[in-house]
Amino acid sequence: MPSPSKDYFEFFGLQRRLVVDAEVLQRRFYELSRQWHPDRFGRRPVEEQNEALEATSVLNDGYRTLRDPMKRAMYVLAQEGFPIGEQRSKNVPPELLEEVFELNMMLEEIRSGDESQRHELESAGKHFLEMRAEIDGHLEGLFQRYDAAAPESESAKQALQEIRNALNKRRYIENLVRDVDRALNAELKPEQREL
Amino acid sequence: MAYSDKVLDHYNHPRNVGSMDKSDPNVGTGMVGAPECGDVMKLQVKVNPETGVIEDAKFKTFGCGSAIASSSLATEWLRGKTVDEALQIKNTDIVNELSLPPVKIHCSVLAEDAIKAAISDYKGKTGAGKTAETAAAV
Repeated sequence: MPSPSKDYFEFFGLQRRLVVDAEVLQRRFYELSRQWHPDRFGRRPVEEQNEALEATSVLNDGYRTLRDPMKRAMYVLAQEGFPIGEQRSKNVPPELLEEVFELNMMLEEIRSGDESQRHELESAGKHFLEMRAEIDGHLEGLFQRYDAAAPESESAKQALQEIRNALNKRRYIENLVRDVDRALNAELKPEQREL
Repeated sequence: MAYSDKVLDHYNHPRNVGSMDKSDPNVGTGMVGAPECGDVMKLQVKVNPETGVIEDAKFKTFGCGSAIASSSLATEWLRGKTVDEALQIKNTDIVNELSLPPVKIHCSVLAEDAIKAAISDYKGKTGAGKTAETAAAV
């Protein structure tokens, strides 16, 4: 048996696309899970047993990554040289920072109020959810644009750049959604927030 | 994970939280962010145009405790320094002072970026030190 690829798309026998058919992915996951199941390697040489173990780990990580559209996009971004985790401010559009800052200020003001602010907090939360839905719609379109572009082409790179910007914004909005939820449920006191 | 007393102190009692008039020609504003953790940090300096000394510094950070502590400490250090001295502040100084764990080093990087961005904004306004500004731009 050939050594399994560490590239998730190759491992699953899928084309490198940002839009993935969830059913196909799940079917491949089950097939590969059977194929690499450790029980089948019980009587095989140690090297093959180790290979099966490694394949199972790539399989699980890969499935977790590829089935989530956002994680999948981040995976492709990192592979194509646009890692999401290693950006400095120069990679973030200044208008986005301004906007996020203002939204945070608004949220803080509402949150520092009393129970009468609850309604405002709820509508802020709704607003953030709408913003997230809008970003998701935008990302949908960008994913298709990337998939339609020739690999490594300028338009593919352009799409990836825009995807990264949209994912950055999404991350910020995610945090706002979470903060509103926490404030509404008052589950966490500020000092319990992760330092 | 244990946090240093200094981080907790700055987190619980942040220094110099606030905002100054962005349009003031003596005020430089730096707005930076780290999307991977969702942080956004605004840092402002008010410079005496005669002496080039930073007379006031303010910050407002939305983010984790380490990001808040890093920017709070930065404003303390900035007060009384000249603009050029301020540019010498390195993120590693902040890491050492606050004993930040490796996973939080990016918070100190963010604070250093914010200092440079604020000073770059101030220099841009005065029209002075154009070349230094380009070098310092983040």
